[in-house]
Amino acid sequence: MLEESIQELESGSLARIASATSLEDLETVRVQVLGRKGALDQFFKQMGKLAPDERARAGKVLNGAKQTLEAALESAKRQFAEAALRIRLDGEWLDPSIPAPGPRRGHLHPITHIQRELEEVFRSLGFAVLDGPEVETEYRNFDALNIPADHPARDAQDTFWLANGDLLRTHTSPVQVRGMERLGPPLRMIAPGRVFRNESVDASHEHTFYQIEGMMIDRGVSVAHLLYFMRIMLAEVFRREVNVRLRPGFFPFVEPGFELDIQCLLCNGAGCPVCKQSGWVEQLGCGMVHPNVLRMSGIDPEEWSGFAFGLGLTRLVMMRYAIDDIRHLQGGDLRFLEQF
Amino acid sequence: MKFSYNWIRELVEDLDCSPAALEKLITMKTAECEGIERSGELLERACAARVESVEPIPGSHNVKAAVDAGRYGRVTVVCGAPNCRVGIVTAYAPVGKKVIDGIESDGMLASGAELGVNRDHAGIIEIDSQVGAPLAGCLPDSVLEIDNKSITHRPDLWGHLGMAREVAAILGRKLKDPVRLDLLPEGPAAVDIQIEDLTLCPRYSALVFDNVTVRPSPLWLQSRMTAIGLNPINNIVDMTNFIMAELAQPMHAFDADLLHGDTIFIRPAAPGERYVALNDEEYTLNPANLVIADAAGAIALGGVIGGQRSAIGEKTRRVVLESANFQASSIRKTSSAIKLRTDASMRFEKAQDPANTIRGLARAIELLHEIAPGMRLVGGVADQMREIPPPPPIRLPLDWLERKLGRSIEPAEVRRILESLEFGVAQPEPRVFSVTVPSWRATKDVSIKDDLVEEVGRMVGYDSIAPTAPLVAAAVPPGNPERAFQHQVRGIFADQGFTEVYNYSFIGEEDARAFGFDPAAHVRVSNPIASDQVLLRMSLLPGIRKNILENSKHRESFRLFEIGVEIHRRAEGLPDEIPHLMAVLYDRQGDGAAGLAEIRRAAECLMPGAQASPAEARPYEHPVRSAAILWRGETVGRAFELHPSLVESGRAAVLDLDLRLVRALSAGDLKYAPIRRYPSSAFDLSVVAAPRECVGDLQSAMASFAGPLLDSIEFVRQYSGPPLEAGQKSVSFRLTVGSPERTLSSEEAGEIRARIIDGMRARGYELRL
Ligand SMILES: [Zn+2]
Repeated sequence: MLEESIQELESGSLARIASATSLEDLETVRVQVLGRKGALDQFFKQMGKLAPDERARAGKVLNGAKQTLEAALESAKRQFAEAALRIRLDGEWLDPSIPAPGPRRGHLHPITHIQRELEEVFRSLGFAVLDGPEVETEYRNFDALNIPADHPARDAQDTFWLANGDLLRTHTSPVQVRGMERLGPPLRMIAPGRVFRNESVDASHEHTFYQIEGMMIDRGVSVAHLLYFMRIMLAEVFRREVNVRLRPGFFPFVEPGFELDIQCLLCNGAGCPVCKQSGWVEQLGCGMVHPNVLRMSGIDPEEWSGFAFGLGLTRLVMMRYAIDDIRHLQGGDLRFLEQF
Repeated sequence: MKFSYNWIRELVEDLDCSPAALEKLITMKTAECEGIERSGELLERACAARVESVEPIPGSHNVKAAVDAGRYGRVTVVCGAPNCRVGIVTAYAPVGKKVIDGIESDGMLASGAELGVNRDHAGIIEIDSQVGAPLAGCLPDSVLEIDNKSITHRPDLWGHLGMAREVAAILGRKLKDPVRLDLLPEGPAAVDIQIEDLTLCPRYSALVFDNVTVRPSPLWLQSRMTAIGLNPINNIVDMTNFIMAELAQPMHAFDADLLHGDTIFIRPAAPGERYVALNDEEYTLNPANLVIADAAGAIALGGVIGGQRSAIGEKTRRVVLESANFQASSIRKTSSAIKLRTDASMRFEKAQDPANTIRGLARAIELLHEIAPGMRLVGGVADQMREIPPPPPIRLPLDWLERKLGRSIEPAEVRRILESLEFGVAQPEPRVFSVTVPSWRATKDVSIKDDLVEEVGRMVGYDSIAPTAPLVAAAVPPGNPERAFQHQVRGIFADQGFTEVYNYSFIGEEDARAFGFDPAAHVRVSNPIASDQVLLRMSLLPGIRKNILENSKHRESFRLFEIGVEIHRRAEGLPDEIPHLMAVLYDRQGDGAAGLAEIRRAAECLMPGAQASPAEARPYEHPVRSAAILWRGETVGRAFELHPSLVESGRAAVLDLDLRLVRALSAGDLKYAPIRRYPSSAFDLSVVAAPRECVGDLQSAMASFAGPLLDSIEFVRQYSGPPLEAGQKSVSFRLTVGSPERTLSSEEAGEIRARIIDGMRARGYELRL
């Protein structure tokens, strides 16, 4: 009898738990069934009146019912809590497509980008990165580079002169002289920087542009070494293997002097409009350092030899990013600068 | 410099290399070739033709001509030339049939310009030839354009013979020297030469010719001149140009009958001496200019341009032909002083070969016989010169040559190359050559063994040298901390939203004045391109302001920065170039306060703990929004709002830092400090102050009273309004005190607090507790 009543209570209570719609409903069930004066408690009290063997069996049933109902209540409560959390979190929906507030990262100038790339390449090859001033002496810009006052090569470099006879450097080559004076041989250096030529500005000409000068002086430096360094530098710059060729070129501070061409990267040498069908594109001027230049910087040309090169950084930047108007570079227009 | 392929072919035996192939060889081994131009293509098929009849075409300025075109038969040609008349012998070119003015025109009658023979396009060419014959000596040509910059060191390459010598050497052919020195007459000269300074004029040679008839050159000479870009003038002038273009020896012809006296003086110009040149310009000369003169004055500006007074004209019968040599630097100075560069000065300034003067005269004799028939030589060659000893031979160790090139090369190959370029080669000891330089390479071009490396290297081909890594000691290169620091600053400011600009180093006087800078304090450019590029910037601000004005046209707000040098004049030596950072934050909206705060925050990203304190405003700064930036005890720059009159569309907050100072303060080693083990205690204090009292000042006053146990003092907020009186503000701080050795008792903390309150009250501040 008692067992049946317990089972009845158990199944009735489970039904009430299942149909509860709130935590309060559950609490009511708990108090009425499992509470201190609840229905189960009443059964426990009745058990005392039973015969011992009956009592043991009823106790087992009663404990079973209690555990079942406690577990059911616990599980139902958890479901209510989870549902409540779900509802609360669902209310916290945000639109992730709204742009994040605050300033965006700014942009470095395209010349800065390429210049730093080249600085990295050369530092990793053991070259020091040197600087020189924008205003130079005539001596360092010309004479010490084997370009005396009446040398026709001065024509090729229209110069901005200053009132006291100094000038705005026409190339980064004077930093070679500074490097030799400061560091002496053996020497591996590059000098990126701003240079000036007195010419009018248009889409492809600027009076202010950037170069990278490089130099290596050691014992027994040869044309073969120059070729080696030029090829690995250009492979880094263009991020692929390049074929280079040297042909005669005249720069007073080197002997022999070369123009260095790279095989056209667009047509791989087959000929296209960019390389004027020649398959080659002029890239930089270089050569073996003229003994006069070494001597003027106090280096014995019988003991030391070296190569030097000068690369148009501005031109490289324009090639890399396909910039068609040089004036953008110093125009300060954010619509241009923010692309880099 | 333009080189005629036909001309080179005349000078090189058995030249069988196409113009295109030649262009490539010359580029790879001698000088940069910039392209090939075809000249006189019509000449291929053109022939002499006679106009038989001419009919007008109604309503057209053209005429219908019946032409006897020799091997092309009788043709009808519509022609617009004013000189198209019956009987004229002209050039016919079979260019195809086409209908003009309703008439089928078969081919064309051509002008000199159309044929590429000369520049005459006023009418069809008039010639004196058999009908049907080709135009004598006129052939289509390929003209190679050589980059002048690539031959500035090669005086010999300013003439076809020099280039032909290169071609012959490259191809292993024989060079044909067109000069016949045996033509030079013997005997006393008809003119005297007096050279005042043999350094400025190492050699002056001249010859006198009589019975000269000045007239147009034969067509072959005209077409040769036209092909290489020179204007045919008359037979005498064309002859001098021909020799210049062939031998690189500039020449000049004077009308002998217009000269005073029989002596030619080569002397410095008198101070203020006036001279009218062939270009109709009058020049005022000075003793730095070398003139050629007769008894009455200057007749030529030596090596640059001839004079009008003695110019060759139709009436000229007698000619003094000058073939001289001048010092390169003197010519260059004169030519740049008077801003006149001529074909002659361009050659002389490359240091021409003095041995070439009489070669030029010999060539002239041969040419004049052909182009000025009846011409007679008068007297022998006048020739004054300085003895120029041949340069000593160059010692060329072959091992050294191989080391320099980075490849091995057979001695026989070295010898063959040098001899093909007409160097003399002897071998005084094993593996050493003694090399004699030909006169045309010896003036400036080749004097040391390094010069010979180029001769051998280019001829053997640089492509035969394999790139090789050098064997050098592995070493970390010296650092460049200044540059590394600037890169770091760039990174920080870009991260804070600033975009990098590059501005010019130049500003104009107006720019300087607009900011209250003194133009006279700047370094000045003597030869500026434009008036806004006269001065070198002493501040990055003028450029930055332009950036602000330009970008504010497109943007509501933006941030940008520049790192560049300020150039400051020094009493002696080069200017001081001080690296600066200038960053700007522009906003069209707002009152500018937020921008200034933000730019100071950016400054703190670079310099943690940097402070700003009010500074007296400069003319370009907002009068009450200007601060000095202090870091680690030093003033390193300024933060300010750009004066609103300089940027009217919005507000611009500017940060200007001296990066040399900032970098010096950034250096130094960091050392770890132990983390505090004992808790600290905090309390708040509020100070009542006047509205323009600076928080920073209050803070440092409080800190000074707090003593060594003060851990930190932080600004919390400021407030004005009730219950404060008008003209008052309350500034709240949170103070933290503590000790590294123990926990402070509440009494100790209270004492510090009391000390601060007493101290501030003693200074007259009220504290709200
Ligand atoms: Zn190509």
